[in-house]
Amino acid sequence: MSAADELTPAVVTAARKPRWSPTFTIGLILVGIHVAIALLTLFWTPYDPTSTTGGRLEPPSFIHWAGTDRLGRDFFTQIMIGSRIALIVGAGAVAIGAAIGVTIGLLAAFATRFLDDALAATLDILIAFPTLLLAMLVVAASEGASLWSAILALGIAMSAIVARLTRILAKRVLQNDYITASRTSGTSWPGVVVRHVLPNIWPTLSVNFALQFGIAVIAESSLSYLGLGAPPPNASWGRLLQEAQGTVYTAPIGAIAPGIALVTLVIGINLLADGLRDIGDPTRRISR
Amino acid sequence: MTPLLSVDGLTLKTGDKTLVSDLSFSLGAGERMGLIGESGSGKSLTAMAVTGLLPKSIVPAGSILLDGQQVVGTLERTLNGLRGSSVAVVFQEPLTALDPLMKIGTQVAGPLGRRLAREGKSPPRREVDREVLQFLDHVALPQPERIANSYPHEISGGQRQRVAIAMALACKPKLLIADEPTTALDVTTQAEILKLLDSLVRELGMALLFISHDLPVVATVVDRVTVLRNGRAVEEGPVKAVFDQPRHDYTKTLVEAARSFDNALEGTA
Ligand SMILES: Nc1ncnc2c1ncn2[C@@H]1O[C@H](COP(=O)(O)OP(=O)(O)OP(=O)(O)O)[C@@H](O)[C@H]1O
Ligand SMILES: [Mg+2]
Repeated sequence: MSAADELTPAVVTAARKPRWSPTFTIGLILVGIHVAIALLTLFWTPYDPTSTTGGRLEPPSFIHWAGTDRLGRDFFTQIMIGSRIALIVGAGAVAIGAAIGVTIGLLAAFATRFLDDALAATLDILIAFPTLLLAMLVVAASEGASLWSAILALGIAMSAIVARLTRILAKRVLQNDYITASRTSGTSWPGVVVRHVLPNIWPTLSVNFALQFGIAVIAESSLSYLGLGAPPPNASWGRLLQEAQGTVYTAPIGAIAPGIALVTLVIGINLLADGLRDIGDPTRRISR
Repeated sequence: MTPLLSVDGLTLKTGDKTLVSDLSFSLGAGERMGLIGESGSGKSLTAMAVTGLLPKSIVPAGSILLDGQQVVGTLERTLNGLRGSSVAVVFQEPLTALDPLMKIGTQVAGPLGRRLAREGKSPPRREVDREVLQFLDHVALPQPERIANSYPHEISGGQRQRVAIAMALACKPKLLIADEPTTALDVTTQAEILKLLDSLVRELGMALLFISHDLPVVATVVDRVTVLRNGRAVEEGPVKAVFDQPRHDYTKTLVEAARSFDNALEGTA
């Protein structure tokens, strides 16, 4: 910031440009790389993910950037495909969790005392319900384990957490004077939700969505391990990590590569969410 | 002619505690009345009862006829039609009455858009924006464009209250309720806001229900007052009569307090 900028009233500068924090930029870059790789795998991968193109458990080289796996397949190709799966799992689970969770949470916030108590109790039970058990139920109810059954199970499990958070946040917003003020000028309840409640709970919700995105990506790998996630050859990072367990001393790259991929994506998403919240919340933008 | 607002035997209870009891007053179109009383006497609750927005825990009894419509016990949807068109409110706290995450221009555009829709108009966005600026200009806000583009925390308390007034005026209601609109402001700003309210209400021919605990403030803008104490009306009449010959002891103390305050001011000046 130059000296001239400092002399301008905060109002003017803030109104002109929302701040791009470094956090946001780093998040955008990290997530951007994963999205670019995920899109790329739709058209091109360095090797065919299913064919043997080298020896077993080769160390990284110029030919195989991340070495090869136990069956002699290119490991870097698998990490790249893992990006696609992770993004689909995270986005899919968050979309389902947000759609169901926000709806139920808002209903509870507006409901009569009795219905609200009933919903709150149900949500608490659902949150205590193990995701794993839920995933098994979903798999049993659908045709069998697939990426989609895992996403559905994770999304439903997430919706209970989102619903509880939405309920609390919305209730707090509804107590504000500006809600009453807005109502006295004739804003209907749906209008209050769209104009005031959603924008005011969004900063907190979005950060939670990012957190849940990361949790879903990690949880999917546990499900895969138990055969409740995406079946091979579309292995997720979590499955790669678990496959590397036995060979972590002889071929550490098997754990390091998917680990780095997972961590960069999860951190990237969280930084991005932090940045988005700062941009979406004008009071934060100024106070920096 | 039926009055615009007629409150008859209004009683507000929470549990077995009575907050307002047997309150009656009426207000014709274009009339201005003050509702005064100390803190906690039930002024704000009365205002909320008129708009049908009492907290769920408070139960109203009696009758409130607003613009020919019974408010007590009426369905939410019917009441929502009254809000904005028959009545609008300016609140005590200018900071908390505005949504902190919404630009001022967008906030004013909300009630304005609803009024235009009510009048059967659906002007393009740019037209609405232009009218928003007109309203901001009307309440004597400097640089309306800048204000419209600002968030509530970026403007002063007095400016926020002007925005709140602009929003209420954008509704063009038949009755404007001002609930202690100047209490949170310093004395100079207070006087300016009062003058503004006074002239705008006159100009637009709205009725005004002005709520305050401050007798001299009320006296400058209204013709009649009702004095409220512990939820009961203790005195009612033209401002001058109540001011010059208060009949009730409570009103006498109010008047005396105001006089001695004035005298003290003159003494030091
Ligand atoms: N939601 C509520 N539940 C129960 N009692 C309430 C509620 N809101 C207000 N009261 C009580 O009702 C009484 C009247 O409150 P009200 O807000 O109308 O006072 P007021 O005359 O506007 O005071 P002030 O000048 O301080 O604004 C107070 O004693 C208050 O404690
Ligand atoms: Mg009050």
